Amino acid sequence: MTGVELHHGAATDVGRVRQVNEDAFLVAPPVFVVADGMGGHDRGDVASRIVVEEFGRLADRGYDPARGPEVIAETLLQAQARIAAYDDHQRAGGARDFAAGTTAVVALLIEQPTQWSTEPKWLLANLGDSRIYRLNDGVLEQVSVDHSVVQELVEAGVITRDDAAVHPERHIITRALGGRGRADADFFVLPLSGAERLMLCSDGVSGMIDDTLIAEILARTSDPRDAADQVVAAAVAAGGRDNATAVVVDVVGLAADRPYDSDAQRVSLEQKLGALP
Amino acid sequence: MSEQTSGAPTGTWSYRPGSWFGVFGAATTLLLPASEKARVAALWSQIDDGAGFDDVLDALLQSGLGVLPGFVLIGTGGGPTKILVRGASVTATVTAAGTTTELDGSTVTTWVERTLPDVTALSVVVDGSDPEADDLPIHGGLVRVGRVDQPPYAALAAQPEPEVPAAPEEAAAAPLDALSAPYEEPHGEPLGEPGASVPGVPEPPATELLDLADPLADPLADPLADPPADPPADPPAEPSPLDDDGDTTDMGTPSSPPGLPPIPPAPVPPPVPPAWPGSTPPPPPPFAPPLDAPTVPPGLPPHPPFPPVAEPEPAPGAPEAVDHDGMTRIGVDAGEFARPLPGIPGQPMAEGVGRSVARLVISHGESVDVDRVVLVGRAPEARRFTSTDQPRLVTVPSPLQEISSTHVEIRPGSGADHGSAVVTDMGSTNGTVLVQPGLAPEELKPGIAVQLIPGAIINLGDGVTIQVTHP
Repeated sequence: MTGVELHHGAATDVGRVRQVNEDAFLVAPPVFVVADGMGGHDRGDVASRIVVEEFGRLADRGYDPARGPEVIAETLLQAQARIAAYDDHQRAGGARDFAAGTTAVVALLIEQPTQWSTEPKWLLANLGDSRIYRLNDGVLEQVSVDHSVVQELVEAGVITRDDAAVHPERHIITRALGGRGRADADFFVLPLSGAERLMLCSDGVSGMIDDTLIAEILARTSDPRDAADQVVAAAVAAGGRDNATAVVVDVVGLAADRPYDSDAQRVSLEQKLGALP
Repeated sequence: MSEQTSGAPTGTWSYRPGSWFGVFGAATTLLLPASEKARVAALWSQIDDGAGFDDVLDALLQSGLGVLPGFVLIGTGGGPTKILVRGASVTATVTAAGTTTELDGSTVTTWVERTLPDVTALSVVVDGSDPEADDLPIHGGLVRVGRVDQPPYAALAAQPEPEVPAAPEEAAAAPLDALSAPYEEPHGEPLGEPGASVPGVPEPPATELLDLADPLADPLADPLADPPADPPADPPAEPSPLDDDGDTTDMGTPSSPPGLPPIPPAPVPPPVPPAWPGSTPPPPPPFAPPLDAPTVPPGLPPHPPFPPVAEPEPAPGAPEAVDHDGMTRIGVDAGEFARPLPGIPGQPMAEGVGRSVARLVISHGESVDVDRVVLVGRAPEARRFTSTDQPRLVTVPSPLQEISSTHVEIRPGSGADHGSAVVTDMGSTNGTVLVQPGLAPEELKPGIAVQLIPGAIINLGDGVTIQVTHP
């Protein structure tokens, strides 16, 4: 995407309880994905990896930035078809009722050029209970709306957002890739100026640490790589009951307190590794 | 998806808790085994929308009969009652025109089908449910069942003794009227009013006393292929600390994906029948009281249909200590859920994005067709739209920052506003002034849509105005 410099960081951790990391993420600017696979017996790790592979292919071959929602919907459909094929294969192998599934959150840059504006925007997509947050002026906001039973209860006014965090049914999601349920994503468009920093994460992050802590970490950590690391580390430290994954993306030049440029990002990696003084 | 048809069943059933899923709709009732959770989720919205017998059967058989260990499908929507029964230890007892017929799903390779007019009583037993368990009334929704009855079993039990052994023919006449009336469900009325009776609503096809013999006989005669162990077995297992970190010892167990054969210790499936809010007043699990309220959310606009809220209901006394994280799974199909359209909840999109109902000429020169939702602001954002209804975002300059990031929404009107555009202030900081031809200027109230007449001028502040013209 012309004229937009993105800094990013990503981290994932199997956590303290699980043996397999069923989360997967993609960092292929301007495409970013987090997918949280479901169903240990049914190889949720394969389902999440399929999603990431499909978006990776999208990033490789490029896409029409004016057709953002269609592009994402098509890619999700391809992933859905591959997961279904994988299910069929497994069922043919004797695993009756095999059904892999995964959530997906996607962020990619789009352009809707008009005579008056060519500014790229963030197009965000959400399917399931993985989340997209944005940090603007130090204020954290959850942009995506979970497709989960508790979210529907919150919206219906039955329970409060605090209740939702401890609700016994909070792990039941109402949309996902794979299986026979709904697989249509919700979309969001944000101007770049409205999202200095984005974070995509699995519920192993948002379910273990609250928004206050996420906000604090994201606000105090200027390097997106450190931010992702610290968010995931905090989720693991808080119990790590699920795989935890975070992808943090900054739009360079928007945040006043992040003075470095793209060279700085490249250099600082070497500094971090001790290759430079 | 139409709200008129959703969840307005024609008759009341009773069910007895069990391991199967029972979906009760206006025209069809479907029972599926516990392993078919994903399928149930997909079919629920169809059935709740009032889908007919044939449609449900089509959907049910989409992926072939082989993968379907058992089912019971009952069509009661007008005309004779149709009943399909498949599966081991699945039996249905039907009383029609005074004759009682027994259908046994275990004796066939495909399914047993009967089409019977004037069905007066219907009882289906799908697993060896606890004969002591209470029968609970249900008007519509999705619950775990072991057996179902129409008319409600509970109502039957309440009948005076002498009625019971009466021959079906005799029983048909007298108690039927008394029984059937209270269980009429007014079309479109809120659920949860078993007593509400509306004269003139079509009689449910099958409403009658049922032969008292079978509730006793069936469970006993049953081979008990499905041991009724599940409900009692689960609760004691849950608090065990082992389940808490089940992942470490038994990878995948806690994930309990839909469709897997039952993995006993998984704390996920509630051992007690889940209840749709409002559909089953009597059993109040911990969450019942608050759940009842939202069935008619007072603040929600009539469209889209109200959310079907939680399924399954947590077991009473489900140990809070059990950790549910890391067990994400797909639950109910939320097809019915209110999806706030971009902008103002409760204002449905006009049919068919495409035809422009107005043109907006913005003071900096841009002109925009209102063929879909248009969001105007200093840095507009669009929330929660689908891949096909992407709003048009129009950025306007606001050097003094008087204009909010997403200031107003203009969309094709629906209902009374069909054919014209409507404008809504999105809760802007400094407000919006609308000047319509021949009318005094008015300040828009946030969230309240106002129909636009060609020639209208919308003033956003900071010198930015939007002129509304014919498309």
